[in-house]
Amino acid sequence: MSDTVLSLRKATKLYAGVPAIEGVDFDLRRGEIHALVGENGAGKSTLTKVMAGVVTLTSGSMTVDGSDVAPRTPLEARNLGIAMVFQENSLVPTMTVAQNLFLGQEKFYNRLRGIYIAAQQFLQSLNFDVTPTATVSGLGAAKKQMVEIARAVLHKAKVIIFDEPTASLTPEEKKYFFDLVRDLKKRGVSIVFISHALEEALLLADRITVLRDGKHVITDDAAKFDRAAIVQAMVGRDLSNTLYGARKASVRPAGARVLTVQNLKMAPMVKNNSLSVFAGQITGVFGLVGAGRTETFKIVSGVLKRDFFHGGEILLHDKPVRYRVPAPAVKAGIAYVTEDRKVEGFFETASIARNIYLGLLSKFPGGRMMLSRRETNTVGKSWIQRLKVRAIGDEAKVVELSGGNQQKVVIAKSLVQEPELIIFDEPTRGVDVGAIVEIHELINQLADEGKAVVVISSYLPEIMALSDRILVSRQGKVVEEFSALEATEEKIMYAAIH
Amino acid sequence: MKRLRFNQQEIVFAVFAVLFLAFSIFLRGFLTPENMLTLLQNVAVLGILGLAMAIVVIGRGIDISLIAALAVPPGLVLQMVQNGHSLPASLLTAVLLTIAFGLVNGWLIAYAEVPSLFATLATGLLLAGLGQAALFQLDVVQWSDGMKGFERLGQGTILGIPTSIVMFAIACVVVAFLLRQTRWGAYIYAIGDNPYAARVTGIPSRPIIVLQYVVAALIGCFAGLVMAASVNSMPTRVFNSTLIYDVILVVVLGGIGLSGGRGGVLNVIIGTLLIGTMLNGMTIMDISYAGQNLVKGVVLLLAVITDSFLNPRNEETAQQGDI
Repeated sequence: MSDTVLSLRKATKLYAGVPAIEGVDFDLRRGEIHALVGENGAGKSTLTKVMAGVVTLTSGSMTVDGSDVAPRTPLEARNLGIAMVFQENSLVPTMTVAQNLFLGQEKFYNRLRGIYIAAQQFLQSLNFDVTPTATVSGLGAAKKQMVEIARAVLHKAKVIIFDEPTASLTPEEKKYFFDLVRDLKKRGVSIVFISHALEEALLLADRITVLRDGKHVITDDAAKFDRAAIVQAMVGRDLSNTLYGARKASVRPAGARVLTVQNLKMAPMVKNNSLSVFAGQITGVFGLVGAGRTETFKIVSGVLKRDFFHGGEILLHDKPVRYRVPAPAVKAGIAYVTEDRKVEGFFETASIARNIYLGLLSKFPGGRMMLSRRETNTVGKSWIQRLKVRAIGDEAKVVELSGGNQQKVVIAKSLVQEPELIIFDEPTRGVDVGAIVEIHELINQLADEGKAVVVISSYLPEIMALSDRILVSRQGKVVEEFSALEATEEKIMYAAIH
Repeated sequence: MKRLRFNQQEIVFAVFAVLFLAFSIFLRGFLTPENMLTLLQNVAVLGILGLAMAIVVIGRGIDISLIAALAVPPGLVLQMVQNGHSLPASLLTAVLLTIAFGLVNGWLIAYAEVPSLFATLATGLLLAGLGQAALFQLDVVQWSDGMKGFERLGQGTILGIPTSIVMFAIACVVVAFLLRQTRWGAYIYAIGDNPYAARVTGIPSRPIIVLQYVVAALIGCFAGLVMAASVNSMPTRVFNSTLIYDVILVVVLGGIGLSGGRGGVLNVIIGTLLIGTMLNGMTIMDISYAGQNLVKGVVLLLAVITDSFLNPRNEETAQQGDI
């Protein structure tokens, strides 16, 4: 069909055997604006990366203008006329706009003046108000995006893919961006854009494709959708089929208020955030990536550096606190279980027992000037048993364990500190199925023991299965609160999307 | 089936054994009791410095300023005694100067977050310059009467063993105890293994980093006192020598990965023995100073390359500019 510029058939991409997208069919018409929507991990990014040659398909086919292609690098995709504008843009900050435009196309000798004149003419032809001699690092987000778009047009792109193009733009810049995209469309360029902002998708797109759990759900004209229909398509999953079990029949009552956050600010991620956490129950915090959840709780636990703190108040047991490093927060009974265990979770050259013992030492150093081998072993053994860490032996190095067992060690390292407030940030990310169930059991058990538990997760079924109380975060603050009994996936997702 | 694999410690020890054997057979005058004593005496100071370097390298840092700590505070002791101050007062002043120096290093690295390589490069230069400009009257500070008795720290024997070797042994025991038996030692390994995890776990990372540099400077000062005692003077120009490269060579060759969190005192001993044998053999073979530097350069390069193969740095936890 001549009006289809790019299509994917049965596209499947496996990462380490796990499908990121599975059997996805996708058609892009000439001169259309096509929005891709879906939850975190639905496979939107992977799908666009396949088109842009950043990753290659495990199976399935891709055609451009009717002929089979399989771009293996972004350069090959570019030669096919496909350009991608990434969220973190790919410009060289120390170079000028003109130099960035012609990057990779330089001749052996470049006269700067020549480049500037060519760039000036080209930018004018696009009606872009950008100075070619300006250094990119000094430009705002919108102008940087313009340079990226200009570069794509300069490379004669037929297809331009945007990953969250409006995430870092101000309202006026957004309007300008929309005009730009419509202008590109008039030139016959096809646009694919990923967006968490459903209003934008409805407003801008000609067609909308919804992905869920790596599978294609629906593609249709934007005019046939409304907000509720998209949300329904995004979350329409049968809970009884998930690993996480059915939702709770009853919720734990709130105990004493342990943590209060009031008007917390930290540019650019946390904006006037307020929330409370109570003892004896699990507070689930849901939000899309970039909603400022992790940052808020990293400020609470002192993990984020002090200079990012811009105002607001944190109360622990109704007393104002402010931790500039994690050590005093740990002493005060706060434990933060990181979402990225490899970077800030465990000590890879140390044994399991030593990892856990280090947690004990840093909370209760009193009288432990000398290391005790016996205490290391007994503490290690008891936690290995309690959390069912499966390893060859207590002396096994953490780096040799599976993701789930590593996570258990990181959790044990925090629990040995006997915290009152435990913050789990994406507790089951990269964790095998069996371990997910065990970690969830453990989290429930902690709440039953009367601890204040926070679970940050981007995965709705996990939030639904664990939480007694659900906080929904959007654009840097908690916007809605549900009791687990009244919450539905649709309600939560509706609140989380802007 | 277990794969046959050697760790770096065993490889270096094997190289040392082969080198030692080859020298013993082919090099006349190598395997004599006198030469063995010279060899050990020569490497004692290097070994003590290696221990200081090992502490900071295990904590994922490096201390280029060690030679300044070796030269300046002990030089100050000799100078002050020469000027008529009492030995205990001079020693106390030197120790305080060393602690202050270590605190500055530690503060720069832990609190101001300057990469250790650059911080210690600058502070070392500063301390050496201060010594030469303001403290010492001559480049070589001479022994004076007030120092009487102190030379026993580097000369003579204790129970038939040369004193400088005994000093190295004592330093080994102290550092091994600090690293393996104390809570602080466990923290140093943890910080070197993964500084971010150490922080999140609640380890007081910054005070421990400061402690590392203070202890390293104190050990460096101790090495300087042993050195001064053994030659009855303090040649402060040692700061301009290539000694710091030898120290790094000892640590890396011994198998203490530059990526931190690995190795211990045993690695320093092995590295010291290997370097000592190598240097001694080259001296007997009458290889020129330039030729020795060439050999050392090649060996250091090989050691660093091997190190990054055996202990690849974890890209996710590495930061720019660190060593």
